[in-house]
Amino acid sequence: MAVERKTETPALVGKFWPAYRDRALLLVGGTQLFIYAIAILAMFTFHVSINPLEWLAIIAVGIASIIVICVVVLGVLRPLGDLSRALVHISGEPTGLTAPNLNDDYYAKSHLRPLLQLIYELAASQPESTELPAKANASKPAKHALDVPSLLNNTSTGIIMLNSDHEVIYTNQSAPVHTDQHGTTKIDLLFDASDSIDTWLAERGDHDIRAEHVWRRIADKLPGEEGRRLFDIYVSYQKGSEAETILTLFDQTEQYGPEDEDLDFIAFAAHELRGPITVIRGYLDTLNDELQQALSGDQKELFSRLIVSANRLSGYINNILNASRYDRRHLKVHLNELPVSDIYESISDDMLLRAQSQQRVLNVNIPTSLPTVAADSDSIGEVISNLIDNAIKYSNPGGTIEVSAILAGDFVEVSVRDHGIGMPSNVVANLFHKFYRSHRSREAVAGSGIGLYITKAIVESHGGTISVQSVEGEGSTFTFTLPVYASVAAKLKAAGGDNDMLIERSSSGWIKNHGAFRG
Amino acid sequence: MAIHTILIIEDDRFIGEMYVRSLRRAGYEVDWMVDGNDGLAAARGKHYDVILLDIMLPERRGSEILQNLRGGAEDLIPNTKVIILTNFDQDEQSRVAMEHNADAYLIKAEITPKKLLAIIEKIGSR
Repeated sequence: MAVERKTETPALVGKFWPAYRDRALLLVGGTQLFIYAIAILAMFTFHVSINPLEWLAIIAVGIASIIVICVVVLGVLRPLGDLSRALVHISGEPTGLTAPNLNDDYYAKSHLRPLLQLIYELAASQPESTELPAKANASKPAKHALDVPSLLNNTSTGIIMLNSDHEVIYTNQSAPVHTDQHGTTKIDLLFDASDSIDTWLAERGDHDIRAEHVWRRIADKLPGEEGRRLFDIYVSYQKGSEAETILTLFDQTEQYGPEDEDLDFIAFAAHELRGPITVIRGYLDTLNDELQQALSGDQKELFSRLIVSANRLSGYINNILNASRYDRRHLKVHLNELPVSDIYESISDDMLLRAQSQQRVLNVNIPTSLPTVAADSDSIGEVISNLIDNAIKYSNPGGTIEVSAILAGDFVEVSVRDHGIGMPSNVVANLFHKFYRSHRSREAVAGSGIGLYITKAIVESHGGTISVQSVEGEGSTFTFTLPVYASVAAKLKAAGGDNDMLIERSSSGWIKNHGAFRG
Repeated sequence: MAIHTILIIEDDRFIGEMYVRSLRRAGYEVDWMVDGNDGLAAARGKHYDVILLDIMLPERRGSEILQNLRGGAEDLIPNTKVIILTNFDQDEQSRVAMEHNADAYLIKAEITPKKLLAIIEKIGSR
């Protein structure tokens, strides 16, 4: 539906002031005259006798008062005249009047200066919006007509225009489009299903007159396809306009491309690293069952150390892969409705073995009665396992590690507490940074320093927070929160089960991205 | 649905033998194919209760096999449960597409044979 353009010449801005001023003077002067006429009529009616000299005086006073009232009205209306003149000036209409000079003392005294200044500033910041097309063309003929559509083919920036039926009505050469067998132009952009231009436009139709949106890092082809480009896309929407939606696509392939290759490297590295660890863990698992009778007491202990170490190696590989994805804004969690106790259950055997083989006592209290949370089970399993690993690392043999969960408002709070060496407050501030290892790294503890970094990233991807309380010499308590499922269910359903909605609530500065990866 | 027969399509010999060994010990009847073409032929030629499907396979990818079996108008294996078992880090779109046609999507490195047995049992009981 295109809006019909009115064909008659639009009224000029410059016509307003003279017409308004003249009508105001006519009204005031006319009213004054009318009052005098009534007064004189009254004198005749009641036979008031007046000599000619008095008549002369009455008429003179009448004329003088009309002149005075007109001068006063002109003075009162002057600001309106000046504002009109300023508007005429910035509208580009032909005019013999000069623009109001901001330095004029009158404008300072009358406090009109800020208003004029605002008009001039608005004109300077949006020249095209103040210069309406019809008038601009009428008053300032272009030197020669520009063939804008073909000139736009000279830019590497893609431009696509859609009408109100979301049909493509214009594309320049750089725009990623193709024509299908019916001759219809189709846009080649691989949006995330939950955040595509179609879904965005569908919402606009109901809500907005005018809207803008930016997508980053949208590809036109799948990874590996030839000539693949990556765009940052700026979309503006103006309801009722002939080109209702205008997409401007900035080709950022050079900037994003290398990162994408890195990402493919990570995808393959994941495959290569996981292969051997699958075999090691799998065979250990198999042998553990089959050799139970054959192994002596301390051989069993050695065997369980093998299993624990293989599991930890697997965890580290996951941390590295996740950190790499997170740094590229590619970490995505798939949120489901789960009890926290189920998540822990999925890692409990592993955790128990880890604690036992390193002589720690694991004390777990996660009530099954807690409300369900919105979580990615694997990811939160990694979070808890990182925190328990950390607690083992920084406590002493024989020490107790407590894992607990409670309800706190719309969140379930999960805590992992150790009674180990603790840390001073200056260390706490840096704890969640990548590759940060505390002052304690001087001591005999190993760690990549990546575990807490990715732990925080995963928790924040769920819309939760993580914090730590620590007393040097007494131990540390790490606490993270997960949203109760019921509190976010509606949002999650709307977003198709991924984490975009929740991330908006956290302050992690996350940029939404379509090409998300999650092992 | 009680599960008796299982088809494994897996090119890594160590991993394939590991699954075959533990599944046979648990009493299942197991066939194992190491490339995509043989895997697809086996899946179309005989009924299996469960198919364990790798993605990175020689000749024909797991995603193609699944597409061939379940992507058409007719589900060629309506009474079979498909478990995707991979270490490959797929992009989101491919993953979602495969999850749509499968009964489970698992990362091999996270699934020891014992866990796999538990998962098959669970899938068989629902």
